[in-house]
Amino acid sequence: MRILPKHLLQAWVERLRVDHRVVAPRESHGQYIFDEITSADELVLDYHSSVLPPKKYFLPPREDLFTFNAKTMEMSPVIEEIQPTVIMALHTCDLHAIQLLDRIQGTGHVDQHYQARRRKTTLVSIECMEPCMAQAFCKSLGTLSVPEQFDVHLTDLGDRYAVDVGSDAGEALIRGMGFFWKPSDADYDRFNEVMAGKWPNFDYRLDCDVTDLPNLLGASHDSALWDEIGERCLSCGQCTKVCPTCYCFDVVDEIDLKLEKGKRVRVWDSCLLEKFAVVAGGHDFRNSRANRLRHRFMRKGKYQLEAYGLLGCVGCGRCALSCPAHITPIATLNTLNERRQASPGESA
Amino acid sequence: MKPKVAFFEFTSCEGCQLTVLDTLQRHPELLEVIEIVQFREAMSERGEDYQIAFIEGSCTRPSDEAKIREIREQAQIVVALGACAHLGGINAIRNRMPLEQTREYVYGDKKDWFETYPARPLSAVIEVDAVIPGCPIDRKEFATAVTHLLQGRKPAIPDYPLCIDCKLTENVCMFLRGQTCLGPVTRAGCEAICPAQGQGCEGCRGLIPSPNMHSIKQALREHGMTEDQIAAKLSLFLTYQTMQLEGVTPA
Repeated sequence: MRILPKHLLQAWVERLRVDHRVVAPRESHGQYIFDEITSADELVLDYHSSVLPPKKYFLPPREDLFTFNAKTMEMSPVIEEIQPTVIMALHTCDLHAIQLLDRIQGTGHVDQHYQARRRKTTLVSIECMEPCMAQAFCKSLGTLSVPEQFDVHLTDLGDRYAVDVGSDAGEALIRGMGFFWKPSDADYDRFNEVMAGKWPNFDYRLDCDVTDLPNLLGASHDSALWDEIGERCLSCGQCTKVCPTCYCFDVVDEIDLKLEKGKRVRVWDSCLLEKFAVVAGGHDFRNSRANRLRHRFMRKGKYQLEAYGLLGCVGCGRCALSCPAHITPIATLNTLNERRQASPGESA
Repeated sequence: MKPKVAFFEFTSCEGCQLTVLDTLQRHPELLEVIEIVQFREAMSERGEDYQIAFIEGSCTRPSDEAKIREIREQAQIVVALGACAHLGGINAIRNRMPLEQTREYVYGDKKDWFETYPARPLSAVIEVDAVIPGCPIDRKEFATAVTHLLQGRKPAIPDYPLCIDCKLTENVCMFLRGQTCLGPVTRAGCEAICPAQGQGCEGCRGLIPSPNMHSIKQALREHGMTEDQIAAKLSLFLTYQTMQLEGVTPA
């Protein structure tokens, strides 16, 4: 652990800006958006959540994959020059989400575009002391502290931050900078006090244990609840856009008016959308809102865990905040749990 | 050989054709790939040997029908240009009111001088091959539609709701800003230009294929709208489509 006095925070960030693009939350209409800062005094560390999660820096909503010439039949990959980037003030839920994305994008067909951006990005996270918003349920999902994988993590000790380094990339942001002090015994005491004091501020909102989620969802495949919330669902797809672990994309070709020069672009897709599961011949294997919603919940609480060893939900609460029909993971999972307990052995 | 293209208008403000003109200024290469033989907004020549017809405007009177059919006979491809041709547009607001009352309101004692009947989209009169939605149309979408036509493809327009465009551009949701919006049931493709400018979606691009009308009305109610206000909001561009969903015929 090191100590960063608060009055040196801006100087550190200004120093980072010399050789990095520094992005941080920025206020917009009462919400926050991760965006590049042009001066260290724009830095905001205290924010509730962001509209889009930081995944947009590794998986941009729209991204050129390659260009082609339809006349000469030549193609060349688009290798974008990626600036070294520091993302500031990530909450630990988002770190957990990035850990899952790293695993997914680094397994099997390794996604080169993701890797190229990810390698150039260092994450500076911050310990959450209070629930960021009513929709969050990080404590229930075990994402209220840093995962194994992190770069630099800050904990607010009042007039100073405790700074933990979890990687070489993180160390490179700290070493030789001169802003960081050695902690005193009092700093360790204060750190322990703060860390112990924060836990009661958060509620367990999920009625079952997080390790029970795959079983709960498995037992709830034929639950009537899917039809009930499917009636309300607008299939607008916002829940997937704002989800820090969703990564599905569609691929489209764009060509100029002379039908010569074109490019292949990938764009975020969403399993909630009507055409997502339509295949050749017009067959649709998830043709109702209820089916599509259930699929999303299964992905988050069961399938991802089975495939990658990590839950697909980190409890950030963004989907709950953005749903115009108020469909939330907590209400859905707790209702499934209630019904399972009311009629054990039967479908909820 | 460049395909010959003609533009026509029925009941409309011609704003979509002005947008086409603007697109031509931004993409002069359009004229290298298509030959425009008729376009009243931009030229006085009137060639009748067109293969592709872009039609703006809705059908609002009996005498429109013959002309619309004539265009259909001549053109290999008919494209509905903009909200009026696509949805009946704002002209269809009157479809929920008794026709006589509307005529009197608009024309007063001269009401018998003008023929008119409930406004309909082109697709209610003839078979339409493709649609470029919006009020007005989107320039980029027009240019993209032309490239698709040149490739022999049906112009692809999004079938998902505006919320997707909004989130791809990271707009803060209008509902979270205490305003109302038809984005969750409206077809995307405009890059969410209205929410990006602080205005909720009014639905000019029409409903998505399976809109959850019950749920959007509930969301509007929760954001302080009365039943009358909801009905008014859904009438601006969506009268024809919502009447079809409800199985109601024009009064």
